[in-house]
Amino acid sequence: MKPAPFQLHIPSTLEEAVGLLSQHGEEAKVLAGGQSLVPLMALRLARYEHLVDVNRIAALQGIAREGGWLTIGAMTRQTTAEAHRDVALVPLLHQALPLIGHFQIRNRGTVGGSTAHADPASELPAVALALDAEMVIHGPAGGRVVPAREFFVSTWTTGLKPDEILTAVRYPVWPGHCGFALEEFARRSGDFAIAGVACGLEVDQDGDVARAAIAYFGMAPTAVRASAAEAALVGSPARGADLAEIARLAASNTDPGDDIHGSAGFRRRVAAHLTERALERALRESIHA
Amino acid sequence: MTFAAASSRLVGSRINRKEDPRLLTGRGRYVDDVVVPDMLNAAFARSDIARGRIVSIETTAAAAAPGVVAVLTGTDLNPLLAGPIAATPTLGMGSPGPHKVLADDEVRYVGDPYAMVVARSRAEAEDAVELIELDVESLVPVADYTTALLSDERVHPQLEDNRAGGMVQPLDDELRTLLESAPYSATDTFVQNRYLAVPMETRGIVAWWDPGRMSFDIWVSTQSPHDVRTVTARVTGVSENQVRVQMGDVGGGFGQKAYLARDEQIVILASYHLGCPVKWIEDRRENLVAATSSRAERATVSIAADQLGNILGVRVDHIDEVGAYPMAGSAAMMGAVIFTGPYRIPKLSFSTDSVYTNTCSRAPYRGPWQIETYVREQAVDSLARNMGLDPIELRRRNVLQRDQLPYLLPIGLSLDHVSPAETLEQAAAMIDYDGFRAWQRQEFAAGRLVGVGIGLYIEPQSAMGPYAAEPAHIRIQPDGSTDVYLGSGSHGQGIETTTAQIVSENVGVPFDTVKVHQGDTGTTPYAFGTGGSRSGPILGAAIQLAARDLRSKIVEIAAHQLEASPDDIEVTGGVAAVRGTPTRARTIGEISRSAYLDLGALPPGMEPGLETLKRYKTDMPFLFSNACHMCTVEVDGSTGSVRILRFVVSEDCGVMINPSVVEGQIAGGAVQGIGGALLEDFIYDADGNPLTTTFLDYLLPTASDVPQIEYGHVETPATTPGGFKGVGEGGAIGAPAAVANAVNDALHLVGARVREAPFSPARIVEALEAVGR
Repeated sequence: MKPAPFQLHIPSTLEEAVGLLSQHGEEAKVLAGGQSLVPLMALRLARYEHLVDVNRIAALQGIAREGGWLTIGAMTRQTTAEAHRDVALVPLLHQALPLIGHFQIRNRGTVGGSTAHADPASELPAVALALDAEMVIHGPAGGRVVPAREFFVSTWTTGLKPDEILTAVRYPVWPGHCGFALEEFARRSGDFAIAGVACGLEVDQDGDVARAAIAYFGMAPTAVRASAAEAALVGSPARGADLAEIARLAASNTDPGDDIHGSAGFRRRVAAHLTERALERALRESIHA
Repeated sequence: MTFAAASSRLVGSRINRKEDPRLLTGRGRYVDDVVVPDMLNAAFARSDIARGRIVSIETTAAAAAPGVVAVLTGTDLNPLLAGPIAATPTLGMGSPGPHKVLADDEVRYVGDPYAMVVARSRAEAEDAVELIELDVESLVPVADYTTALLSDERVHPQLEDNRAGGMVQPLDDELRTLLESAPYSATDTFVQNRYLAVPMETRGIVAWWDPGRMSFDIWVSTQSPHDVRTVTARVTGVSENQVRVQMGDVGGGFGQKAYLARDEQIVILASYHLGCPVKWIEDRRENLVAATSSRAERATVSIAADQLGNILGVRVDHIDEVGAYPMAGSAAMMGAVIFTGPYRIPKLSFSTDSVYTNTCSRAPYRGPWQIETYVREQAVDSLARNMGLDPIELRRRNVLQRDQLPYLLPIGLSLDHVSPAETLEQAAAMIDYDGFRAWQRQEFAAGRLVGVGIGLYIEPQSAMGPYAAEPAHIRIQPDGSTDVYLGSGSHGQGIETTTAQIVSENVGVPFDTVKVHQGDTGTTPYAFGTGGSRSGPILGAAIQLAARDLRSKIVEIAAHQLEASPDDIEVTGGVAAVRGTPTRARTIGEISRSAYLDLGALPPGMEPGLETLKRYKTDMPFLFSNACHMCTVEVDGSTGSVRILRFVVSEDCGVMINPSVVEGQIAGGAVQGIGGALLEDFIYDADGNPLTTTFLDYLLPTASDVPQIEYGHVETPATTPGGFKGVGEGGAIGAPAAVANAVNDALHLVGARVREAPFSPARIVEALEAVGR
């Protein structure tokens, strides 16, 4: 379990890092917290000639509130974010962070690293997708911003080009009467979710659902939104909505795989159960918000 | 006086473990901590297909890679083998010949080693392994043990079929009639998952053949250092006095390290071949895929009772999987011996088959015969349900009472000095069985599925063959400090502590002045090794015999020097004194000094020195301890997940040397059993490819997945010196049955049942959906 030989680069600026990525192309990979990449390399399931360690780049650190957004620097440790006062402004993120692995993993793991790694069963991509977060990206040509909906492509694949770095994730702070709930099911605490769901609801003055977001993780090759179920919720009265039916609709429109922990049918059953529970929680919270 | 009283009660006290300060502060010394000059590091090339014919192995590029000293294949090492590779107690069992350490004709499982790279560093060795080109022609593997006996393919082509052993016994007419005509009966097929030992410290060895001194120094993570020496001598052709083996601290074995595997023998041969020290530390992936595996078996059990619920007889049809190169093979025969366990069951018929497959090899694992308890306890529950009885009620009608002992088991063996009825009732009281039943009905009315399960069993400690004996050597040094030398050693059992407790109490020296040395063939007497839960009953007896022998000599010297009768000498707290006259006394140091240095002060004719070596051997083929596990669980009706609410163990291991050590043994075993019942499952696909090769997929229970275990104790002394019984394996034997029965007790509320482990959420949901839930 020793990785194949590689060259480690430790740049101190973003420009330097992007330069290294441009120079080495597909043979280079960004090393953030290393909690996914390092085991993959140790098992020789992944190999790169060059690792660009971005841990020393100050510009990638930090948490900031700007208007209706909470911006988290990509290299912010998950434990740092977990403990940060402002993260409570984005309740889904606040609920998701403690569910990532174990605390030892979160001490090293970063918000940007987990998001850019885009594991289909991990929490942060689903949170970004549910909230319509924005990905702040830096490359040789400068910066660009990509909405979460366009960022996640497939398993471990995002819209990032080989010479680009995710520098921050911008989470919108939903205004109005909102409620949020994240539920996941795993065999043991700290495991990747077999099924998980992140829900956000906004209720208007009349008590109707004004905005609904249901994002699954572990249910497809990437995090996915349950658009049909969201549409069925929006405009309907928040009290008295048939959440069990909406949850079934949401879960039935997913395409999970079969694996040793359960069949697709099992995952959909669990997902429907989690969705109903999450919607109930989110709805209760939004009505009382 | 108070000190003397305290020290005389050392056996049975919860004294802190001597080894803990070292182990808990990171100062343990394990095999990977061993570094010797010019040491090289090894990595294996292992098959990534289940079965294939080796056409060629091209090593030129690997041999030329940076840091590489040698690339060794079967062509290099197999001809060096001077004798069979099996561990001594298992010679003639398990793998068929011809014996080879490296695959050279066929690879027989994913993980089968076919070459080894020896390099300056492990990383360089792994880099070079990737450069070895194996040309292999895929063959159809025997991947499913349940059909292996029907397969045209052979794991070992020199054999007639894939049968590795067993005892196929047809059901006789008498029992058949009885099972068919009894008022009540139940027949079920129970499937047990393949699960693994997973020691915290993986396997590892440093082997150093020194051509100058013509001797081997070997450091190894093992349960049986003396047998490592014997095997090393046998496979290399050197004599045993040219080999010294040391085991240091060992981070768990659970049976996996009872016998020296091919992997370590390859390293030994490589060092002998190259004439330099070679280290191999197994990595976690190798340990999961290629070390050893266990359980992986199924049994169909038919059980019948009369109108009153007296169990009349049992038939068992069992099959287990031993993989490609089993170490000691199947333990099913032991299961047959103890199958009727804690119950009065007059008739038993047990048939078993063991089959080779193209999978990782079976080795002993904590209670290797555990299938008997696992399926018997579930069958008893089935029978109870068919009778409309509570499972505990059927057990109460059949459990052996003390006045029914000794009880002649159907196999012809006498069972005695056990307390199954007492442990059943103690566990039931602890868990408030009746109260739980009332609460269960209430919770079910509110939509919750909770259940209670029982695992009641007799745990045999085999004392057959070399298992019957253990040595202990005690030497008191001239300053009065005491050294104890044990040929077997601890791999986590706390033997340093329990040994010192027995020695301190029986010699009469302070606990803190006793130092225990283990597992070094250079200094300790030949011993079979730590396994089979024998350290308490057999090693413990040997230690007590040796300690009392030494005490007699101390008393004799003291009586002579104090001019008193030996009958009047008391030895406590390191002082031998005349009873009633504490001023007439000699310290152990004074007595010991005279025994070595002031020989004129010894009684006339006495042999100088203060040391003794005793071997204890029992004449009984088995010793028995017993326990009852009970747990309560909640099954989530939506997701199928299981949460253990309470877990209670009532255990009778005879006289407890240290209740904390006993409870630690129970806890460790029970957690492994809980893991096996709920989480752990080493899965192969239909082509023999392992699917659970990391801890992401092979799920071990973590601290947050297991409950606080609650303990009750019953003490029925054994007839051996000290009265100690084995307790190392029981936890892993009783827990899976208790968990299985508790889950099914909850599922029974809605008419569902699961007969295949592990009781995973997906499997439970499948059972719930089958009854429309």
